[in-house]
Amino acid sequence: MQKVIVTLTNRVGLHARPAALFVQTAARFRSNVTVRSLTRDTPPVNAKAILSVMTLGAEQGHELELMAEGPDEAEAIAALKELIESRFGEE
Amino acid sequence: MVALVIVAHSAKLAEGVRELAAQMTQGRVPIFAAGGVDDDILGTNAERIRAALEAALASGEQVLVLMDLGSALLSTRMAIDLLPEEQRPRVRLSQAPLVEGAVVAAVEASIGKDVDEIEASAVEAARMPKVV
Repeated sequence: MQKVIVTLTNRVGLHARPAALFVQTAARFRSNVTVRSLTRDTPPVNAKAILSVMTLGAEQGHELELMAEGPDEAEAIAALKELIESRFGEE
Repeated sequence: MVALVIVAHSAKLAEGVRELAAQMTQGRVPIFAAGGVDDDILGTNAERIRAALEAALASGEQVLVLMDLGSALLSTRMAIDLLPEEQRPRVRLSQAPLVEGAVVAAVEASIGKDVDEIEASAVEAARMPKVV
């Protein structure tokens, strides 16, 4: 199991297009991937389901915990961390 | 891949919803708009919807139709009746709200989910809190 904590720095947070990109990235991997908001203290939700991700209410400045478990867990975590840290190519 | 058809009373509304959903998915999901009686008259047009359904059936194995209000359903059913009988089971009408449903359906379709999973998520989108 791989786990990482990242801070959302893009303007809109995990909504709209960034949420779509996040889900599409998570779905490229075979591992189970979950995400939870540490800021809002939510339970972990499926990172491969757009509605779950959107209902996290994750905004700019919020801390998220990403977890992956499976054959490509390290790659999945690395890709999602990279996506968030690159601000989803937004700015 | 599931393709989407957007049926609305205004051609601009249908096209706008298509544009929004397509932008969310970088054009990966086939989405077709069928709005208005024609480009200027509000209403729904079974012939326009049939053309969109045919395009969608040519690009996806299953088609999910998202509708706005009232007669959109009647016109869509008429459009389905105009299709060859063997194609009709590939078309599913969504219970979801138009905008939220289309966006959620497009993203779920873009990651290869099946039509049942997509419809379930799109319907659930209606309950997503908007004001947080």
